[in-house]
Amino acid sequence: MNHRQPSRATLLSVGFASVVVFLLAWEAACRTGVIDPLFLPPPSAVGERIVAMLSDGTLLSNVLASTRRVMTGFIAATVVAIPLGIVLGTSSYARAAFDPILSFLRPLPSMSWIPLSLLWFGISETQKYSIVFMGTFAPALVYVIEATRSVDPLLVRAAKNLGASNWQVMREVILPASLPQILSGMKIILGLSWTCVISAELVAAREGLGFLIMNGKEFFQTEVVVLGMVMISVTVLVTDIVFRAIERKVLRWQA
Amino acid sequence: MNLSRRKFLHTSAALSALPAAAAVGGLSLSGFARAADATTLQYGGSAWLGHYPAYLAMKSGALSAAGIDQQWQSFGTSSARMSAVLSGGIDIACTGIVSALALMARGSKHFSIVAVPESFGRVEGLFVRDGVNSLQDLKGKKLGVTFASSAHLLVLDLLGSAGLSNDVTVLNVPAPEIPGAIQSGQIDAAAAWTPQFNRIRAMTGMKLLADDTQFSLYKKYNVTPGPDVLIVRNAWAEKNADVVRKYLKVYFDACQTLRDKPDEAARTLIGLTGMSALDQIETIKGAEWYSLAQQTQLLKSPGNYVDGLQRLAEMLVTYKQIDKAPAVRQWINTSYL
Repeated sequence: MNHRQPSRATLLSVGFASVVVFLLAWEAACRTGVIDPLFLPPPSAVGERIVAMLSDGTLLSNVLASTRRVMTGFIAATVVAIPLGIVLGTSSYARAAFDPILSFLRPLPSMSWIPLSLLWFGISETQKYSIVFMGTFAPALVYVIEATRSVDPLLVRAAKNLGASNWQVMREVILPASLPQILSGMKIILGLSWTCVISAELVAAREGLGFLIMNGKEFFQTEVVVLGMVMISVTVLVTDIVFRAIERKVLRWQA
Repeated sequence: MNLSRRKFLHTSAALSALPAAAAVGGLSLSGFARAADATTLQYGGSAWLGHYPAYLAMKSGALSAAGIDQQWQSFGTSSARMSAVLSGGIDIACTGIVSALALMARGSKHFSIVAVPESFGRVEGLFVRDGVNSLQDLKGKKLGVTFASSAHLLVLDLLGSAGLSNDVTVLNVPAPEIPGAIQSGQIDAAAAWTPQFNRIRAMTGMKLLADDTQFSLYKKYNVTPGPDVLIVRNAWAEKNADVVRKYLKVYFDACQTLRDKPDEAARTLIGLTGMSALDQIETIKGAEWYSLAQQTQLLKSPGNYVDGLQRLAEMLVTYKQIDKAPAVRQWINTSYL
């Protein structure tokens, strides 16, 4: 049997068609009364709201506010987690010392940090960055530890046998070998940062996609709620594309 | 029959206890029968003063005596409570009118306004530091308030009237965090309602600059920025019209207790609010508790109060909080009074 692989264009068309069919079915369900628009607005209402908020600039300012919070918290978490994770991944003593603390931190959802962060940082922007940081730091650290530990010990031993110093082993063997896994972990953490920013914006925020969703909820503007959700997905998609481009650049030697 | 000493004692004790058990059993059986006959309703409440009458009526046993088994469900915000009304989980609730207006603006016909429990104009207001003597002095300062609340509307109205809408930084601060934000100097002024209102008022260096009685609609219509209203879920109320009537009778008896015997009411309400007895009494006295007889006048349409609610809906549109003003009178139902 001759199985021909569908072309990329065909696959894209199928994906596009499925989105169109889904949106049409949703619109029809709202218009015919199958779904009460009070509970779920039709896509046309969401579209109208997007146009209105794009024209008055509020949509962009909310997206930018959330993106800034996500990137600040995410970068701070990775700056601390990557070196610390490499150290913990290569030293069993350090790991033994840090493991109990990590086990305590890892299951805590970002929401649980809100009361303490308010006491520590008040209602400032730092409080929002800290929520993203605390929500992503422990998972990021786990990814880095696992990536470092997954480096083939044979490579490390071979480098040492050839007379490489600890620093050389780290720079020439461990880092290049663990980097692809670290980067793919960070991609997941970036997605997680967006869930944290929603918690961060529940409290004392004046703008941002989380604020938009919560404010929409207060006034039963369900199309604003859906719009906020859509914008989070779109922004995550865009940041994911940017991250992939960076990944390709950084890991050029892997291509 | 050969009874052991232990068995004999057990049997004697059981027999001697029979008359008492029968008496108690008779009582509890009749109580059980009454509970079985009672109509269960789900009430959407919180520790806010608008829920005092429903809590008092429940705890005093007046609702049970009227054959109503009120199940108390707590909600953090009016919008969460109204969402539960929409989904059919709550039958009767007191809610801030802003949430009700937001739902009306979306065309929801799931509920009706059946009563107004009180006016709380003197337990919500704008606090400033001692050096601030007028709204103009707030220029360039930070003001904390919970967004989408009645206090937020008060702030928007006061700043708008003073021409300061763009000169004061208004920050969204959750109600429980407001006293802490003032103390730590993160905000210079705050608008809050009881119980945070009482806490801020007790702070040294803070003073009340304006309360709800300075709200632009208060003088003409006696309408505060977010008056409380008692609503019923229509689908439930239509099937239980007599229960709603009985409920309102008991509810306004509780309002009378709040008005005439605040000390007595406070003893029960402390269980709900956790306030000190003194604060509790003061909070009760800070509100004007309406009677059943006043309801027809208040909810008369056209009438001053309903007109005020209509102006309030239009004000929400001006401040871009809702898209269009609903015709409030369409949601008012006085047939249960």
